[in-house]
Parts: sequence; structure tokens; C-alpha cells
Amino acid sequence: MEALNRFFAKSNSAQVAKQRLQTLLAYDRLEIPPGVLALIKDDIVAAISRRVSVDCEHVNVNLLHEQNSSKLVVDIPLIANRGARAVRSAGRSNAR
Amino acid sequence: MSNMLPSILNGHAMNEHTPLEAQVITVTSGKGGVGKTTLTANVGIALAQLGRKVVVVDSDIGLRNLDLVMGLEHRIVYDIVDYVEGRCRLRQALIRDKRVAELFLLPAAQTRDKTAVNPQQMIQVCDELRKEFEFILIDSPAGIEQGFQNALAPADLVLVVINPEVSSVRDADRVIGLAESQGKTQIYLVINRVVPARVKRQEMLSVEDIKEVLSTEIIGIVPEDDAILSASNRGMPVVCNGKGPAALAYRDIARRLSGEHVPLEIPQALGWWQRLFGKAS
Repeated sequence: MEALNRFFAKSNSAQVAKQRLQTLLAYDRLEIPPGVLALIKDDIVAAISRRVSVDCEHVNVNLLHEQNSSKLVVDIPLIANRGARAVRSAGRSNAR
Repeated sequence: MSNMLPSILNGHAMNEHTPLEAQVITVTSGKGGVGKTTLTANVGIALAQLGRKVVVVDSDIGLRNLDLVMGLEHRIVYDIVDYVEGRCRLRQALIRDKRVAELFLLPAAQTRDKTAVNPQQMIQVCDELRKEFEFILIDSPAGIEQGFQNALAPADLVLVVINPEVSSVRDADRVIGLAESQGKTQIYLVINRVVPARVKRQEMLSVEDIKEVLSTEIIGIVPEDDAILSASNRGMPVVCNGKGPAALAYRDIARRLSGEHVPLEIPQALGWWQRLFGKAS
């Protein structure tokens, strides 16, 4: 199975090219340098952290591109305060 | 978007000998080395073979090559800069290609740079050429600087040449954006140097992939063809007498530009059986 996966990963470089291009062109067309996303992430974390505790390690900011539109998709896991009762799922809650 | 307008790809009923309204077609790419000059030479010759009056214009001032690819390098006396600066009449700068009925080359200057001509002057030169010709094909230099702006300014139709490869596709996207921002609506892709066997093995972007990524209509697909190199070695472009895949593809592009409806065929890799016993079996 491993070998099979490696075989496909190697031969399917056209698919990799297409995905990389779709992401890159979304940035190009919006004229956003890719590094700006990291800055946006820091801004969002700073803003949200003023009100609630954010699991900074797992914050995700992504540019999602569709046929004719692009949007930012932000994933911000929150941390329950120490001393408070644990969040029932014991996992992270997602604010989207 | 070009998709919103009536597409030339639908073809329009046209008698081959009805003169067409002059059309300026700019061949560009952003990235260098993808085959702009070869395409300009071949499609220019193919259009003339269809009985059209054609002039090919080299707008790569300082790095002219269209003359060399066409085998006309020894016949240059005056060039486009001589005309723009008033040292000759336009007729004197045009070189006739004797292989076909109505084909002329307007060469670039070799010793000057891109700033020797500006976009306004290019529009004026093309307006003069419109009086004499049905097709004015401009070979644009690589890049997006003034040479590209010169080539783009007079265009009625823009052909963006790409190779199935990431950097070429990215540059093409930028060029398409710039052309659209200049109000160009007729923008078409030519996918050059396609290797069907590598597409089949999924190690090369397919025609469908490229169309999806760039959301631009395709007017031609030119397979990789060994004949191209020896053709430019000799200064005898493949459409002059070639029957190989690239020559056929260039002729199809010329027929589409000329208003004929020619369905787009995606080149397919040959199976082992066909490779052994020929394509017909």
C-alpha cells in the first residue's frame, strides 16, 4: 500500500501542479503577498484574545478560492479557563 | 470576460475569398521561450496560404528574431523604427515573403531598445497596415514592460501562448489580467508543446487543467514536434511544407482565426498497438 501511494504521489505531479497554481493564482489575483496571511492571523488572535482565551497554536487562516470568488476561512480554537469546568467534548471548540 | 462575447470559436459562415475587416492579433505570453515567435511565423504563413493578406510585425525591438525564424534575415533594409522616425515609407520597411501570395514582414530594429517606439505609435503603424491587410500579427517580446505594452495597445485579439508548465501558466494569468485591464475582451489561449504521453501519465498539466485554472478559451493546442527545431534552423517554418502534428495544429489555428469552425482536438497519446502498427490501425 505504502509503495502504491508513493507510486501515485510520484506520477501524479500534474495534479500537484494544478493545485499549487490554483492557490497561487488566488493570491496573485487579489494581489496579496502570501506572508500577509500570517500577519492577518496575528491580528485576529490579538483581537480575539482580548475577550477569550485562544489556542494560538492551532489557529488557521486560509484563503479559499472558488470559481469566481475568494474568501478567508478562519479557524480559531478556544481554551476553557483553568478552574472552570472542562468543556464537555474535552476537545477544542471551533469558532468560525 | 471573453466568454461573455460572441466567440470566434463558434465560426461564422464565410466565403474564403470575402475580404475580412482588418484584425490586429497580438501574440504574447509573459514568459519567454514558450514559442511566440514560432507561432507568429507559422500562423502568419498559414493565414496567407488560406488566401488572406497578412503582415507579421516583430515588436521585439533590440532582440529581433521573427526574421530569422522565417528565413528573411538577409533582406532587411529598413525596420519599424526607421518608419516611425520618418527615414522611410511603410512600404519600404515591409519585406515580402515570396513563398506565399500575400505575406509581409515588418521587422524590428536590432540596435535600438523598447523605448524607441511607444504604444501610441504602434497604434498608428497598425492603423496604416489595416488599410492594406486583413491580418496584422504582432509578435510581442517576453515580459510585461514597454515592449509588451507596445504590442498590446493596438490588439483587437490577444493570443496568449503557454506551455503546460507552472511558471508559464502563472505568467499567462498575469498577462491575461493586464490585457483585460486594457479593455481587451478577445483573449484566447494557445497551449504549445503538449506531450500527450506525459499528460496521460499525469506528469504534465492537461488541456482541461489549464482551461480550468485560467478560465480562458482555448484556440489551439500544438503538440511537441521535433520538426520545429530543424524548421527554425533552416528558416523554413513547418507550415511551409510540413505534415507533422505542429504544422497541422498551426493550420487549424489559422483557419479558426479566419472564421472557419474547426473543432478543437485534444492530442491523444498513442497506445502500444498504434505505436507498433501506425496511427491508422
